[in-house]
Amino acid sequence: MSRARAFTPALTLGVALALALCALRPGVAWAGQSASISTVFTPLRLGAPTTVSLGFQISAGAGQVPSPLTGVDFHYPSNLGIATSGLGVASCPVAELEAHGPSICPPDSRMGSGSAFVEIPVGGEVLTETASIGLVAGPSENGFVKLLVSATGLSPVAARIVMPSLLLAGNLKLTVPLVESLPGAADVSVVRVHVTLGGNLTYYERRHGKMVPYRPKSVVLPKRCPRGGFKFSATFSFLDGTQAEAKRTVGCPRGR
Amino acid sequence: MRFDESIKRTTVLGLIALALAGMGIPPARAAASRVLNVRDEGHLRFITSDGSEIIDEGPALGTVPGKVRVYFVYNGEPTVSARFTIYGRSGSISGRAKARLSNPTSPDPSFRGAFTITAGSGRYAHIHGTGELFGVFYRRGSDKYGLVVQTIGKLPY
Repeated sequence: MSRARAFTPALTLGVALALALCALRPGVAWAGQSASISTVFTPLRLGAPTTVSLGFQISAGAGQVPSPLTGVDFHYPSNLGIATSGLGVASCPVAELEAHGPSICPPDSRMGSGSAFVEIPVGGEVLTETASIGLVAGPSENGFVKLLVSATGLSPVAARIVMPSLLLAGNLKLTVPLVESLPGAADVSVVRVHVTLGGNLTYYERRHGKMVPYRPKSVVLPKRCPRGGFKFSATFSFLDGTQAEAKRTVGCPRGR
Repeated sequence: MRFDESIKRTTVLGLIALALAGMGIPPARAAASRVLNVRDEGHLRFITSDGSEIIDEGPALGTVPGKVRVYFVYNGEPTVSARFTIYGRSGSISGRAKARLSNPTSPDPSFRGAFTITAGSGRYAHIHGTGELFGVFYRRGSDKYGLVVQTIGKLPY
């Protein structure tokens, strides 16, 4: 299992105080996890361009911190027009993204953004943190679209991880590296994630020698709603060896 | 004399018919067989999309000039598929194609593959065969979004 190290400044004041309160690694007991996913199309109009919002939430028992997430196997309708959208018409090198974050990437490689809420058990306390998520297109691999998911947290743990994934027809697999929090403390646990694919993005194209901004063509929904709606599912894998599954269906718009 | 020539001609024709029958070729069909040496290029404009399928249309130039309509399916995997119909002056030609797309995260990924003719009408009612397919999928901007497709093949009709 790969680990992402925190980058400088690794420890902030809050963490230092927490460490001072508890010099020893706490006994972290992870309960079994449950998961739920959410999916929203904005607008939900068949055959129309839409913004796809995806989210998931991991829950452990009351007062418990979930075991660190190690993988997500996400399934979506294969005829969702992600590949035929005009998103990701440039690619961002993985090393650049790891070193500097999504802001270094070409604007035309950006495909979406979001946030992740994480928990860090330190002593008897649970610290929380919100990391920003960037979705960018990476260099393609054997003709496959490579989606790079970066998560950057600043405080109390400053770290950035980049998760490369190949966009398959209706499937996206992410391997989530463990994020070290503090010496002797447990790894960071992902609790909630929300990302938006498409949305308010600005790309640039050259016209008459000038770079002109434009809104990229977004994901287009199929013209017919699948029987029973658009089905999404995900399997989450955790460090403690357990898995949790979640399903979600976006119902067909009325009148269709 | 005239009787002898008639016998001679009948015998020769009979021998040709026998020879063709021996080769398994119907004589009338063999005489009518033509081959369309296709080398066409279409510059297609985006019309609409339906999820992972985009529908493009535009002029076809080359051996079969006319209008071409393409239903292009791309779901993120390197293999793309398409159905197409070329509407020429003397009839239409329909087919399907599979190709491999390279460098998908560029503004203009290219693809290369093969096509199979599935149907024809008018002058091309009996057209069949396969050929090669090349193209570029333009993904940038709203007005530049479209396809350029080249087809090469020898198609009996």
